[in-house]
Amino acid sequence: MTDPVFGLIYIFIFPGFLFLFAYALVLAFLDRKIAARMQQRVGPPFFQPFADFIKMLGKEVIDPAGVDSGIFDVAPLVALAAVMTAYLYVPIVGNSPLAFQGDLVVVLYLMSLPTLVLFLLGWLSRNIFSAIGGIRSVTQLFIYEVPFFLALLTPALMAGTWSISEIVVWQQKNMWFVFLQPISFIIALIGLQAKLERTPFDIPEAETEIVAGPWTELTGRRLAIMDLTIDVSLVVGSALVAALFLGGPMIPWAVTPAWLEGVIGFFLFLAKTLAVLLVLSSIEVATGRIRIDQLNDIGWKYLAGASIVQVGIVLVMNYLWVYA
Amino acid sequence: MSVLREMFENLLSRPITILYPKEKVPIPAAFRGRVAIIDEKCIGCSKCSLVCPAQAITMIEGQREVEFRGKNLARKKRPQIKLFKCIRCGLCERHCPTEAIYLSNELSGSGTDPEVIMV
Amino acid sequence: MPEVVVSIGPHHPALKEPVNFKVVVDGEKIVRLELDLSYNHRGIEKAAEQRDFIRVLPLMERVCGICSHSHSTAFAKGIEELMQIEIPQRAQYIRTIIAELERMHSHLLWLGVAAHVIGFNTLFMWTWRDREAVQDTVEEMSGNRVHYAMNEVGGVRRDLTAAQVTTALERLPNLEERIKKYVDMVNTEETMLIRFRGVGKISREEALRYGTVGPTARASGIDYDIRRDDPYLAYADVPWNVVTDTNGDVYGRTRVRIWEVQESLKIVRYCLENLPEGPIHVPAPKNAPKGEILSRYEAPRGELVHFIRTNGTDKVERVDIRTPTLANWTSVAMCLVNQNLADIPVIVAAIDPCLSCTSRITLLDIHTKKTGVMSLDELIRRNRSRDHGQV
Repeated sequence: MTDPVFGLIYIFIFPGFLFLFAYALVLAFLDRKIAARMQQRVGPPFFQPFADFIKMLGKEVIDPAGVDSGIFDVAPLVALAAVMTAYLYVPIVGNSPLAFQGDLVVVLYLMSLPTLVLFLLGWLSRNIFSAIGGIRSVTQLFIYEVPFFLALLTPALMAGTWSISEIVVWQQKNMWFVFLQPISFIIALIGLQAKLERTPFDIPEAETEIVAGPWTELTGRRLAIMDLTIDVSLVVGSALVAALFLGGPMIPWAVTPAWLEGVIGFFLFLAKTLAVLLVLSSIEVATGRIRIDQLNDIGWKYLAGASIVQVGIVLVMNYLWVYA
Repeated sequence: MSVLREMFENLLSRPITILYPKEKVPIPAAFRGRVAIIDEKCIGCSKCSLVCPAQAITMIEGQREVEFRGKNLARKKRPQIKLFKCIRCGLCERHCPTEAIYLSNELSGSGTDPEVIMV
Repeated sequence: MPEVVVSIGPHHPALKEPVNFKVVVDGEKIVRLELDLSYNHRGIEKAAEQRDFIRVLPLMERVCGICSHSHSTAFAKGIEELMQIEIPQRAQYIRTIIAELERMHSHLLWLGVAAHVIGFNTLFMWTWRDREAVQDTVEEMSGNRVHYAMNEVGGVRRDLTAAQVTTALERLPNLEERIKKYVDMVNTEETMLIRFRGVGKISREEALRYGTVGPTARASGIDYDIRRDDPYLAYADVPWNVVTDTNGDVYGRTRVRIWEVQESLKIVRYCLENLPEGPIHVPAPKNAPKGEILSRYEAPRGELVHFIRTNGTDKVERVDIRTPTLANWTSVAMCLVNQNLADIPVIVAAIDPCLSCTSRITLLDIHTKKTGVMSLDELIRRNRSRDHGQV
C-alpha cells in the first residue's frame, strides 16, 4: 500500500465503492430475474433496482409519533458503512491491498452489524409488529451464527492463516476448499441465506404475519439505504464464499503478463459470485418460510452438529496430511 | 424433487405472461362487454328498463317508425343508459323481444360519475 | 413477557378480507382470541326484499365473488321448489358444470393463497397460472370470469354450443396432469409439510361441537357432503366420491381440497360428455305461492343455507343467508389457542374465509364498546317499541 492515488482509486472507484454499488444493483436485478423466470414470469427490466433506489430516495420520510428520528436517520447509514468497509478486505482483483492477519474476523463482525441495526430499529419503532420482528431477527442471529462462523473458520484452520487473501493464495497452490471441506461449503451457503434474511429464513420480515417486522417504519431514504445495505451484503457474502471456498480471483496456474492474470482473475471472480447467487436464488424460490422455533431445532441439531464434525475432520486432516 | 426440476425447466423456457397491450388475448363470442342499442330494431316496450337490476336504463322521448313482425309501429320511447351503473348482467339482452339491446364485445370502460348518460 | 394484545386486522397483509382478530399473546404463544366481524355489511337481505324474481338474481350473485354461482343457484333452486316447477335436465347439467368449475377455481385459488401465506411464492404463481385454464373455460361459456349470470328462475340463460364443449374438454387433460403434480407436492414437499402438519388440529368431536362445515369438517373425518346427502342439480346421476381425511389439521384440509379438485374435474368431464338434449328453461310464474323453504347447497367453502319466506307476491318476504365461513369461525377461534403467533395466518387461511359472504348483522354498543348479535324478532320488537330501539 505505497501509492496514495492508487489507494484512493482502489477504495472509491474500482474495485471500490463505485463498482460495489453497480455490482450490488446488478446482482439484485439478476436475483429477481432468475426467480421470476423460474416461476414462469417475466421479471423486472435491467435498471429496476437502480430505479427503485432513486425513487425511494425521493419519497417522503414519515416519523411515527414519539420515535427518536435521529437514530432512524443514522442507523441505516451505520449498517451501510459497515458492509462497505467489510467489502474492502475481500479479494476482488488479486489480493486486497488492505489485507492483514485477522481480517477474516473483522469481515465477519462487520457483516453482523446490519442485523443488530434491524433489531435496534425494531425495538425503537414503538409498535408491536416491529418489536416482534426485531426479537426474531436477533434470535435468528444467535441460531445461525455459530455454525456459520465455524464453517468459515475451517478454511483458515487448514490454510494456517487468518487473512482472506492468504487463504486464496493457499488455494491457488493446493486445491479449492470446496473439494476439501464440502460440509463447510454447504453450511456457509445456508448461513449466508440466513444472514441475508431470504426465504426460507426471512422470518424477521415475514410479510404475511407481522406486516414488515423491523422494516415497518422505515420510509423514504432510510428504506433506500437499508435496501442497499442488504444488496451490498449479498455481494460481500458471495465474494467471501467465493474467496474462501472457490479459490477467489486466482487461477491455478501462473499467466504472464501480470495484468492479464488480473483481468482473467476478475472475470473468474464475477463468474464465481454469479454461481453462488444462482444457488442462493434457487434456494429462495424452492422453499417457503419456516417458523422460528423450527429454525431453532434445525440450527442447533443439524447445522451446529455438522459444523463441529467438520472442524474435527479438518483437525485430523491437518495432523495427518497437511502439516505432517 | 419435482419443484426443483420444474424450476429449472421454467428457467430455460419462455414465460407465459401475456404482455398486454402489445399482445392480446382473443375475446370469446359470449363475452359480456359494453351495452349497445340498435335503434332500428327497438320498439320502445320498456322491458329492458323494468328488468335492469341496477336501474341504469331510463326511457326517453324517441319517435321513430319501426318494423316489428311485418307491421309498422310508431314507437314513442327509446332507452337511455347510464353506462357506469350497468353491471353487465345481460338481463336486458335476455328479455328484449327484438334483440335491439345487447352486450357487445368491447370493453365497458369505467368512470367516476354513475349518473352520466353514455348510450 | 406480560400479555400483549396484537391486533391483526382489519387492514393486514395476511388477510385478504376485513376482520379484526384481537390476539392476546404471551411471547409467541396465543392465550386468547377475540373476533370482530361485520366490517362490510351491505344490507343485501333487505335489498332482496324489494326486487322481483328477475331482478333479484344478479343481486344474490353479488353476495360473493368467488362463490357467486353458489348463492344464485341456491336462491333460484329454492324459489323453483316453492313455485313447484321442474327445470329441464339440460339446465341441471349446465348448472352443475358451472358449479364444479367454480369449485375448481376456488380451490386452486385457495392453494395459491395458502402457499403465499407460508412464503412459498413459487407454488402461488404456479397454481394461479393453472387456474387460468378454468377461468378461460368459464369465460367462453358465460361471458365473464366471475359473476357468471347463468341462472334464472326456471333454468339457465345461456346454452352451451358444441364448439364450447369441445374446447372445454380439450383443456381438461393438461389441467388434470398439473393437479396430479400438486397432489404430489402437497404430500411430499418438505416446507409445506413442516408448516402445515400438526397446525390447527381439530378432532372429530370438536368439529361436530363447533359446527364446522365443508372441507374443514371433512378433513376431521366427518363424512358429510350435501351433494350426496341431500342431492340437487345433477349430482345424483354423476359417479363421484366424497373426499374425507382423518388428519384434522391444515395438512388434512389441504389434501381434502386438492382431491376435491380432482373429483370436480371428473364431474365436469362426465357432464360435458353426457350433456342431454332439450330446452334450457321453462317459463316461470310471476308470483311465488306462500311458503317457507330452506335451500341448501355445497359451496366451495361448505354448506350454504338460504332460508326464503314468500307470501304470494313477486318478491320474497325474507331471505336469510347462512354462509359456511360464518359456521367455521368458531373453530378458528377455538383452535388458535396455544398455537404460535406465526401460525395465525395459516390457520385462518385454512378455513378459506370469505368475509364478503359472512357479514350479516352485528350489534355495536357504543357505551360499553361491545359487539354482539340479535335475532330478527327482537330487532322488530325494539324498532316498534316506544324508545325506537335506543339503548
